[in-house]
Amino acid sequence: MPVEAVRMEGIVKTFPGVVANAGIDFSLFFGEVHGLLGENGAGKTVLMSILYGLYQPDSGQIYVRGEQVRIKSPSVAIRLGIGMVHQHFMLVPRLTVLENMAVGWEPRRGPFLDRAAMKKLVEALVEEYGLSVDPEAKVEELSVGEQQRVEILKALYRGAQILILDEPTAVLTEQEVEALFKTVRALRDQGKAVVFITHKLHEAMAICDRVTVLRKGKRVGTVPISEATPEKLAEMMVGREVVFRVQPKPVSREGKELLRVEDLTVHDDRGLPAVQRVSFTLVDHEILGIAGVEGNGQKELVEALTGLRPPKAGRVFLAGKEATGLPARDLARLGLVHIPEDRQATGLVLPFSLAENLILGRHREDGFALGPWAQLRRRVFHYAEDAVRTFSIVAPSVRVPVQNLSGGNQQRVVLARELGRNPKVVVAHQPTRGLDVAGMEFVWEKLLELREKGCGVLLVSMDLDEILMLADRVAVMYRGGIVGIWPKEEADKRELGLAMLGGKVATG
Amino acid sequence: MSILSLDLFLSALRLATPIALVALGETFSELSGVINVGVEGTALAGALINAIVAYHSGSPFLAVLGALAVGAFLGLVHATWAVYLRADHVVSGVAVNLLVAGIALFSTRILWGWRGTSPAAATMNPWIFVAIAFLLVGLSQVYIFRTPWGLRLRVVGEHPHAADTAGINVNRARLLYTVLNGALCGLAGAFLFNNLGRFTDGMVGGRGFIGIAAMVVGNYRPLPALAAAYFFGLVDALQMRLQTYIPSQFSIILPYLLTVVVLAGFLGRANVPKALGKPYLKEGR
Amino acid sequence: MRLARELGLILASLALAFGVGALVAQLSGLSPGAVYRELWRGAFGDQYRVFQTLTQATPIMFTSLSFLIAFRAGLFNIGAEGQMYLGAFFGAWAGFTLILPQYLHTVVALLVGALAGALWGFIPGWLRARRGTNEFVSTMMLSYVAIYFTSWLVSPRGPYHGTQWANQTVRILPSAELPRFVRGMQLHWGLVIAGLLCALFWYFLFRTPRGYELRAVGQNPRAAQYAGIDVSRAMILALTLAGALAGLGGAAEILGTHRRFIEFFSPGYGWDGIAGGLIARAHPLAVIPAAVLIGALRAGGMGMDRAGVAPSDFASVLQGIVIFFVVAPELFRIFRRIRRERRVLVHSQP
Repeated sequence: MPVEAVRMEGIVKTFPGVVANAGIDFSLFFGEVHGLLGENGAGKTVLMSILYGLYQPDSGQIYVRGEQVRIKSPSVAIRLGIGMVHQHFMLVPRLTVLENMAVGWEPRRGPFLDRAAMKKLVEALVEEYGLSVDPEAKVEELSVGEQQRVEILKALYRGAQILILDEPTAVLTEQEVEALFKTVRALRDQGKAVVFITHKLHEAMAICDRVTVLRKGKRVGTVPISEATPEKLAEMMVGREVVFRVQPKPVSREGKELLRVEDLTVHDDRGLPAVQRVSFTLVDHEILGIAGVEGNGQKELVEALTGLRPPKAGRVFLAGKEATGLPARDLARLGLVHIPEDRQATGLVLPFSLAENLILGRHREDGFALGPWAQLRRRVFHYAEDAVRTFSIVAPSVRVPVQNLSGGNQQRVVLARELGRNPKVVVAHQPTRGLDVAGMEFVWEKLLELREKGCGVLLVSMDLDEILMLADRVAVMYRGGIVGIWPKEEADKRELGLAMLGGKVATG
Repeated sequence: MSILSLDLFLSALRLATPIALVALGETFSELSGVINVGVEGTALAGALINAIVAYHSGSPFLAVLGALAVGAFLGLVHATWAVYLRADHVVSGVAVNLLVAGIALFSTRILWGWRGTSPAAATMNPWIFVAIAFLLVGLSQVYIFRTPWGLRLRVVGEHPHAADTAGINVNRARLLYTVLNGALCGLAGAFLFNNLGRFTDGMVGGRGFIGIAAMVVGNYRPLPALAAAYFFGLVDALQMRLQTYIPSQFSIILPYLLTVVVLAGFLGRANVPKALGKPYLKEGR
Repeated sequence: MRLARELGLILASLALAFGVGALVAQLSGLSPGAVYRELWRGAFGDQYRVFQTLTQATPIMFTSLSFLIAFRAGLFNIGAEGQMYLGAFFGAWAGFTLILPQYLHTVVALLVGALAGALWGFIPGWLRARRGTNEFVSTMMLSYVAIYFTSWLVSPRGPYHGTQWANQTVRILPSAELPRFVRGMQLHWGLVIAGLLCALFWYFLFRTPRGYELRAVGQNPRAAQYAGIDVSRAMILALTLAGALAGLGGAAEILGTHRRFIEFFSPGYGWDGIAGGLIARAHPLAVIPAAVLIGALRAGGMGMDRAGVAPSDFASVLQGIVIFFVVAPELFRIFRRIRRERRVLVHSQP
């Protein structure tokens, strides 16, 4: 008889305007991998954050090893043997692996840090679980996969018997995912309880022993994997038979070259080359996907193409005209627009109103201003109200600050603004990050609409599935270079995953 | 007589002390994520309380304790505003400066009938402060880079969320280090009083801000900040000797001007803590 | 709606601050009732006193706008005091050196003052934009430089030592004077200029693309950069304007009130500007009442002193307390939350 590690009963958690958990029951045994499946916004992360003491539930009980507990903070959770690997790593880039792991539970000699003891402890763990990582390396020097290993090791170092992994595969390549699965199975075989949060069906099927499906803050059901089929889980997840997915339509292409990049080299903030001799072209009616593990130069490439970072060498042509190093404003005038990666940090001015955000960067256009000294407010409001209608933005008025809107509506504001400029080329950088399914579908449809209208779209994404669904061609970036470009028909997930790792198979 | 003499360096050592103490305090609070530009006013408050207690009790030791206490209290006020009430850190610090400036004029009038100055009162040897400053900087360097608490301090300012998930109370840590900063500024004020023997409302005269500059140049490490402070102290000492050669206004300007020049010329990888000046919201989504 | 909330917040802050102020007065052995009565009488007791209040409020309006315009761009101009001194000196210099027809002379002298202040704002702006130099420290340091530099200019060893008995310049020419409203009263047209500037800067910030850019840079510089806004230029513009406003205020103070440059003439108007900008919650139109409030504290403080109920500096303490409450809107949100929770508790009782 397996031992129950955790039981959560009737967990309710509300945030202003949102019911994240509406009375969820959840049970976890030692020696199992328990999948927590659901769409973005279904309440998976919130439920587990409550178990880890990051949030306090409004009501509900939690039992750990059969005893009722109140988990007031992560330190209580850690003492109860609960560890969590967050989607955004809780690591300080400037500190070493050792320091990151030890913080909070430092071995001491007198009042000082005992680095030797720290190292010994870490090395023992590395040995035991076969998770190779250099304890003296700085975290900023590690790959994403390695950083994840540090997070798992950190949890184990703190004595975790119950391990929560929040969307652990989102940032990994196919090969790294396999390595992770191996680790997870090893942990289970040692008798640990593992919660595996995901929204990907095939992953749940591949790794979990049981799956609990959440939808809109409620538990739909828990099934052993032996009784589950992908179709059944999908139905539980979204409440309808088939998962709606967008389908690119066939288009007739003129082959007109919209964007050509020749031997582009770009440096990062530290002055080191981040993009090296990258070349590609983008034609009309085309979506070119740029796949790759985060941090392989995508950010710098996008910044160089959109006029935010001067390239060190190479040339960029926009519809045949040289556009190398032009500032963002000029590029926009020439028909290149940018949907930035992080809408809150770079796409919007949160305290500004909806209307003000809709003209950000366009505020000097003839329709909106008379020279630099007069803004045509009535036109701005008219335009904003139009945009709210055409992009179905849900907001009480165009005068409310965008910080009061939901993430999906915020992204619609960005899309409405940028696509309202009638672009020829759209550089979309992780345009669906953090959106719920409805929000994602909206963005996908808009990108396909652009393609049908004849635009060229450069889609930079960490989500290989998204790229394979939308793109006509797939380019893979690795260490600042493009290692290959595959037409969609020839693109194979395994081959791409291998390319994303530089052709090497992941170890350990 | 030559300008460059042993005497000059000794006086530099003294004049650098308040700057070094402020720089050290600011290093602590900024590493934890709290900007405190109220250091100027906090030092002034330290000097004022030192004068008041010294005048009434006659005990220079008790007076320094008073200075430490008022500094810590103002640190507490600033931390409450910046950390818990989520006021803009700089704005709150400015408020501290303005409030203390008012209090200094008001209380000297009330107590002694003079606007902005105190009568002479009991002092202790200012060299004690010089030695304490050295000792504290050395200890702090070890504390920050060699002890568990120093490691936690660095994590709190760099990645408060990570600190929280490691069981560290982020806001309490910020509060404590800001209080420590305040106490060190109070000590800087105490030095200024004991160095001069009386209180004047202009006695800090921008040294708090210069202390912040020294912290920036020291790049969030106590020992380099100390070196920067001694550079500014040397300039200050030199300035006083130059007054016999050039108009006093120009020599007074010198340290201020050099501070700007040094800051403008200071290049290099700044280790600015990632979460500096940002409130930590636990339940924020 | 938002206006009502902001106003309520300010009034609540003031009420709290005056409450704490009464406590301070009591603890200092003063009579709070007498203090506040004389404060009010000194500020608004009769026409003369109202004029004195407005005279004090005039330079504070300029320096408040100066602080505000930089603050809107996400920058701190702590050096309005020094910028004002430069503007004051060079305004005076134009006033006694140039020979120009009446009114035109005044305008030119004001502009010269504004230009001098603008330069003193441009330097930290440029340093911030191009070298990343912390503008808080640099404006502060440059402020000391300006104050002592102008002090040297009018010192016995300086080139503009105008009178034997004091460190000041010669009197400006009558053609450069900023006219006063009433004979024998110091209140001058600078007040009108300041009021108009408040309106002008409201228009600039909220009705022009340039002002829009400045605010965008203040709220989210990265998003502004992504939108193709020249962030460096906006920062330089903001601090240059801030310097110009403070400089203009200094020149107006000289041309209207003192009629000559006097070393250390300002009782801290530059600092009052920080208070004014914060109390106005960075809204240009709100600067007018905010500056009047601070002017009233100054004028009322003097009245208090004359009446012998408290040192004038009590007003500065009061001002400091006011700012503490104004800059912590969260404080009131917490009060409101506590009140709401208490109400819930009351309702849930059987």
